[in-house]
Amino acid sequence: MSAWRRILMAAGWSGLGLIAIAVTMSEFLARWPADAERVGPVLLAPSEQFPFGTDLLGRDVLSETLHALSVTAMQATEAAVIAVIAGAFMGFVAARLPRHAAAILRWAVGSFAAIPPLLLAILIVALTARGYFGVAAGLAAAPLAFVRGFDRARRDNFANHAAYARATGISASALLNRDLTYEFRDALLPTLARGLAAVAIILSTLSFLGFGATPPHRDLGLMIAAAKATYFDAWWTAAFPALALVILILLARLAAGLDEGERP
Amino acid sequence: MSERPLLFELKDLRVARGGKTELESFSLALHAGETVVLLGEADSGKDALLRNLGGFPDRGEQVAGQIRFGEEPFHFVTRRPRSPLRTAYLPAVAAKVLDPTARAAEQFTRILTRRLACPQAAAREELRAVLARFDGAPSVETLDAPVENLAPATVTFGLLAVAAAVTPQLLLCDHPFADLSPLAAERLTRALLAEQKRQGFAMIYAAREPHPVARLMARTIVLRRGQVVEEGAAPQLIAGQTHSYTQALLKALPLDLSRPLRPSPRGEPLLQVQNLVLGDSARARRRDAIAFELRRGAAMGLVGEPGSGRRRLLNAILGLERRPGRIVFDAVDLNLLSETMALRLRRRVAFVTSRDGALDPRMSLWDTVDEPLRAHLSLTRELAADYRDNALKRVGLASHNGRAVVAALSPFDQRRLQIARAIVAAPLLVVIDEPLRSLDALAQSTIRDLLAEFRIESQAGFLVLTSDFSVAAALCDDAMVFDNGRVVERGPIAMLVRSPKEATTRALVEAATLKPVA
Repeated sequence: MSAWRRILMAAGWSGLGLIAIAVTMSEFLARWPADAERVGPVLLAPSEQFPFGTDLLGRDVLSETLHALSVTAMQATEAAVIAVIAGAFMGFVAARLPRHAAAILRWAVGSFAAIPPLLLAILIVALTARGYFGVAAGLAAAPLAFVRGFDRARRDNFANHAAYARATGISASALLNRDLTYEFRDALLPTLARGLAAVAIILSTLSFLGFGATPPHRDLGLMIAAAKATYFDAWWTAAFPALALVILILLARLAAGLDEGERP
Repeated sequence: MSERPLLFELKDLRVARGGKTELESFSLALHAGETVVLLGEADSGKDALLRNLGGFPDRGEQVAGQIRFGEEPFHFVTRRPRSPLRTAYLPAVAAKVLDPTARAAEQFTRILTRRLACPQAAAREELRAVLARFDGAPSVETLDAPVENLAPATVTFGLLAVAAAVTPQLLLCDHPFADLSPLAAERLTRALLAEQKRQGFAMIYAAREPHPVARLMARTIVLRRGQVVEEGAAPQLIAGQTHSYTQALLKALPLDLSRPLRPSPRGEPLLQVQNLVLGDSARARRRDAIAFELRRGAAMGLVGEPGSGRRRLLNAILGLERRPGRIVFDAVDLNLLSETMALRLRRRVAFVTSRDGALDPRMSLWDTVDEPLRAHLSLTRELAADYRDNALKRVGLASHNGRAVVAALSPFDQRRLQIARAIVAAPLLVVIDEPLRSLDALAQSTIRDLLAEFRIESQAGFLVLTSDFSVAAALCDDAMVFDNGRVVERGPIAMLVRSPKEATTRALVEAATLKPVA
């Protein structure tokens, strides 16, 4: 890994750390509780009193953005963990199946991964319940993580060093242990960060389309959707939540080293 | 030599990168048809010279000095000099200049299409015509396969044909045959010299060990850390009237294969191979089954060209490939054991190999040496660290950062690390696969000494797979010579070297000695 990529990753994780602190302290940082209406004049432009302005219901956009960022970040973290466990880890285990079974599984999941994750998430929400949209986002992003984890584990498993280890009596479980250790160290965190970026987009889009979060637990997608009616007259109602979403996704992509990953 | 036209003359060339001088005060005048061998270890400055003459300097490289082409006046060297010479580059297969998954012939044709500015069909025909000129070269159809499926010597013939098809005035040879068996290297050197005689190109040949010096018998420049140690004709250098560094490089390889006949150790039988079939045909099953016995403390060389069947035997012994026949290790028939039990028995097997990526590139030095101790024995952390430090000290890696990953180590250090790992495993059987391949002369000498010392101290049985009789002679008492999937000759190495009965053995012995290519 190049020094430049290390620097990018460190910057990404530092930024995500700051967001985590902001999310934890959002109750203190926000001047008003979530969804508190009429705290100021309606559609007030950014000012000293309301740096991000106010929306159609007189809510402080700064406080609302902080609360929504908190909801999006928490849901995205949960969904990314689901994506990694269901995808990357399962891929890692599946790579150790007998050759033909593994090939069929890889092909099946690869075909599944060809469906755009957002459509898959909508389908899962439609088949389950609206409350599970976080799980749906995680599962929708899982095939990509699966394919990557599978290919990586398969490559390691059949590398010369694996044959060398087996020839000198290193057991399959010791090799698995070794691979898991390095998988965790080298690939898990970048995969998690990449998953975070992917599910943040899916979650926000689901909410924007009306398949995701519901008031009073508004996330960034729902905030942008609510600002649709006023956007041309009061740009700040949509611009600041959108900016928060862009920063979250950008930091997650940086933390992953701007790695596109291996396409299925 | 001065009667031939001058191709170019370099004066006081200096190449530096990142504050480090790679080549200093280097001067060279090269005439048409002349050969110059650059002999030196890694970082001696050979690569820096080839890079700059070839017009592909590294990023951030600073170049100073003067150059003139023909009888033109001198001008200052730039990072990308506009050379009027038609230059070709001949790399080693191990340099990975080709896509391993793409067909070799296709890649060669594409290069020629660009260099000769001709249609693909014409480039392919040119490739075919040049290959036909080489004795023992493959056909274009043979090269119509992915590079990774072809033998390195086959691909090297293709690379040589591409370089020759360009009809160069100057050929830059970047350790082209260093990773090949001595026999293949000799065959390719013969083809190279024949082509040079035919076309009259000048050649700069970078070598990391003295065999090319002896094969080419040309003017040789010995380099060390970017400085010229000395320069002279090859016969003069080989005769020994030289700088101590040159002598060290030359003495690093055994010049003389003859050795006294000494009895093989007569310990308990350790490995017995019976009726093992290496070929796949029914005829091979009946005729070519292999049987041999290796006793504790003895060392057996498996000598032959790549594809002769040695590696199949090795893979069968290591459990990497199943073949019909019987392998008894430490009085236990491996075929009768379950996979788990065979694996337990294999804990007493150590493996040292030159294959790419034998060690896990993600592991640290300490983890690599610790692994057999952790996996096979329940040692306390302190005791394991003691064994590990002792082994690393013995191979000269004690001063290295133990947390550094294997990927950051040089091939020489990786080879030493494999020996350290073998030492801590306290093996009964040590399997060694081309132990000195791709190493500098001094590194080869160090590894050979380490293995010889390890053999004496461990009293384990040694199986040494090599295509170089000098390696077998240095490490083993007996040898089996392989050809075409069967053993053609076997016996004490002293006897095989002194009076080889088979043509294969004779060719292998001759190729291993330092001598010019006829």
